[in-house]
Amino acid sequence: MRLPPLPRARRAALSAALAALTAAPAALTAAPAAIAAAPAPIAAAPAPIAVSAAAASLTIGALAPDGAESAERAWEPTRAHLAATLCRPVVLRSFDLPSLREAVSAGAIDFFVANSGFYVEMEVAHGASRIATLDAPPALSPTRALASAIVVRADRRDVAGLAELRGKRVATAGTDGFGGWQVAWGEFARAGLDPRRDFATVDETGFPMRKVLDRVAAGTSDAGVVRACLIEALAARGELDASRFRVLAPAPADGFACVRSTPLYPDWPFATVRHVPADTAKAVASALLAMPRTPGGTAWTIPTDYRRVHELLRELGIGPYETVHAQPTLGELARRYWWIVAMLAALAAGGLLHNLRVEWTVKRRTRELRAALDAQQRLALEAQAQQRALDHLARLGILGEMASMLAHELNQPLATIGNFARGIVRMIEGGRTQPAPLVDAANEISQQAERAAGVLQRIRGFARKRPAERAAVDLAEVAAESIALFRGMVPDAPAVQAELHPSRVRADRLQLEQVILNLLKNAYDATRSQPDDAPAQVRVECGPAAGHARLAVVDNGSGLGDADRERLFEPFFTTKPQGLGLGLAISLRVIESHGGRLFADAAPGGRGLAVGFLLPLEGAPS
Amino acid sequence: MMPREPVPQVWVVDDDAALGRSVVFLAQSAGWTARAYTSPEAFLADVDRACPGCAVLDVRMPRMSGLELMQAMRSAGIALPVIFITGHGDVALAVEAMKQGARDFLEKPFRDQALLDAIAAAVRASEAQLAAAGRREEIERRYALLTPREREVARRVARGMPNKVIARELAISDRTVQVHRTHVLEKMGVHSAAELANLLPGEPPG
Repeated sequence: MRLPPLPRARRAALSAALAALTAAPAALTAAPAAIAAAPAPIAAAPAPIAVSAAAASLTIGALAPDGAESAERAWEPTRAHLAATLCRPVVLRSFDLPSLREAVSAGAIDFFVANSGFYVEMEVAHGASRIATLDAPPALSPTRALASAIVVRADRRDVAGLAELRGKRVATAGTDGFGGWQVAWGEFARAGLDPRRDFATVDETGFPMRKVLDRVAAGTSDAGVVRACLIEALAARGELDASRFRVLAPAPADGFACVRSTPLYPDWPFATVRHVPADTAKAVASALLAMPRTPGGTAWTIPTDYRRVHELLRELGIGPYETVHAQPTLGELARRYWWIVAMLAALAAGGLLHNLRVEWTVKRRTRELRAALDAQQRLALEAQAQQRALDHLARLGILGEMASMLAHELNQPLATIGNFARGIVRMIEGGRTQPAPLVDAANEISQQAERAAGVLQRIRGFARKRPAERAAVDLAEVAAESIALFRGMVPDAPAVQAELHPSRVRADRLQLEQVILNLLKNAYDATRSQPDDAPAQVRVECGPAAGHARLAVVDNGSGLGDADRERLFEPFFTTKPQGLGLGLAISLRVIESHGGRLFADAAPGGRGLAVGFLLPLEGAPS
Repeated sequence: MMPREPVPQVWVVDDDAALGRSVVFLAQSAGWTARAYTSPEAFLADVDRACPGCAVLDVRMPRMSGLELMQAMRSAGIALPVIFITGHGDVALAVEAMKQGARDFLEKPFRDQALLDAIAAAVRASEAQLAAAGRREEIERRYALLTPREREVARRVARGMPNKVIARELAISDRTVQVHRTHVLEKMGVHSAAELANLLPGEPPG
């Protein structure tokens, strides 16, 4: 028997509630950062338009090393394109690097455009993920787009290569820049130089970057690091005489338009911040890909591979790789801080004054070390809290799916209790006070109260917040328990055939139980909605398959078409009149968080569905 | 001797035994005689079609739904009025039940008075139904007592013919018609031609 679908308004309210719930973990993480320092756009930034309905507008944070104006010039066409394509207000805000970092960690913005070094840092620290990569000249390809030029004045005969920079004064716009510093740093490191100790000074000029060239030309710095193509661009505009500069360690010609000292790194990504719902990110990504190339040459392409950036930052021990490892080995500490040790040795001989100084330095380093450790611990705690919130949400979602079933279960004892209680009142009011029937009725009432309490107990077991506990479990055992639970929960549950072979996985038992229950309930619903009299069949198969543990729940219900089957795991997709369409979406999250995947195939018999999941076998190489 | 009035029966069928007992208890508290069954088959075997009463059926039962049970009752000639008890949200089912001739339906959990009112109304309907059926049987029984000649006279009297016309049609004397007419009214237990017309509307049987 089919019931009318949920009224549209109720469905909308539900999706709004879910969106609020999904946003909650992000807000949780955001809190500490927001208290510490509210992210502020840099002063020159155009005041973002205050949008009252914050939910409807999207905010893009743009890294603006050259100032807000040039950032706006660069990204306004993209903003306008997104606003027009998505039919919702899109706000562009410019940030300098520290404030963009805060904005991402606080979730104050939804998307950001920034250099790949910053992106990689946010990917590791805050789960940002790229949805497109800039495709603009003079890049050879989006993966090979960015490089640095390390320049000296053309007349500096004393500096032939990078090695001669030891003890020299080196200028950069800022040491937190990717294209303007970190990329060059990689080359310094390859030449055996550590900018932190091998240069006389590192002079930070700030933006615009041409100040670096001005310093080099004036001789106040011996060398400078700039983005590749800056010299060529300025020369083309007649603002600079390129022949006054020489690029050190020039890379062999490979078609890239400018002289450079470093390999090419991926271009700027367009990235989404973790709190942004997946479908919003998807819509923005497809809008970006569809954007026609602007007159300025900006276009977006599929997100490229940022592994090279990861490798560089790891080599340098900066960005996401800056945090101290939880337990650095003595050797690592020695390598990292050998110079402190060396200084210690030197100064110990040098005298008491030096000794004190060293002690102070060591203390400071220790303090820094401890601060870094604390920060890491805090991040880990935040991540845990977030995971707990997510797990809880998953449980509530599945609970919601089972709610109609549980409502029926509770309704029975409640109706029974009501009838007996009112019957007793009528008996007494009618003067029929023989004790026996009244006592019988009262006993019935207390039994029904226990029955209701039992139902609630089961719900509470589900809904209770608890940390996810992963342990080695036998999937077959979990499946058997789920089947028993299912039969206890659904009063007219069909018989469930089970073919269970032991398969050990590493998993949270309760979460798996919920997923299996959800699959069983779906199968049961599918067989129930059959028009004809074919007996309902639900079969659970579990066992190792091709290096994985496989579990499938097979029904002989009406099945689904290919199109519906593809959408099966999307939130709010449902073919059931009463369904919310959340069960499988949540199951998907649970299974993916276990490193597995969900599948839905037509049942082998040609009728019905086989829905299930694959999990890595315990001990199998990942 | 006065025939004893049959006691109306409330038949409760619900697969949830406790819920069924609670409905019975509630009905009993209002003075009804009631019995609960968890199996539709046992109910069908027990039910007494000569008694007035009503059936209170749960819509959702595992082997035979309430609706199917009502159809089974009807095809077995059991005319008892049916009250359905539905779970929350089974509105479409309730509409279907009413279309198929259910007397009433109540959504769980229901107010006790609503159930008792529904039972009272259903039992009254059942009694009226049985009484009408009983009267029809009585008329047929009495009509069977008339002689062929008396039936001819009765049919014509019921149609409102004067004695003279009847005498002419049947080619008998006015006096004989008068004698038959007196016997017909006596045997059918009525006092006038108008009352007789009520009992034998249109073409009477036989």
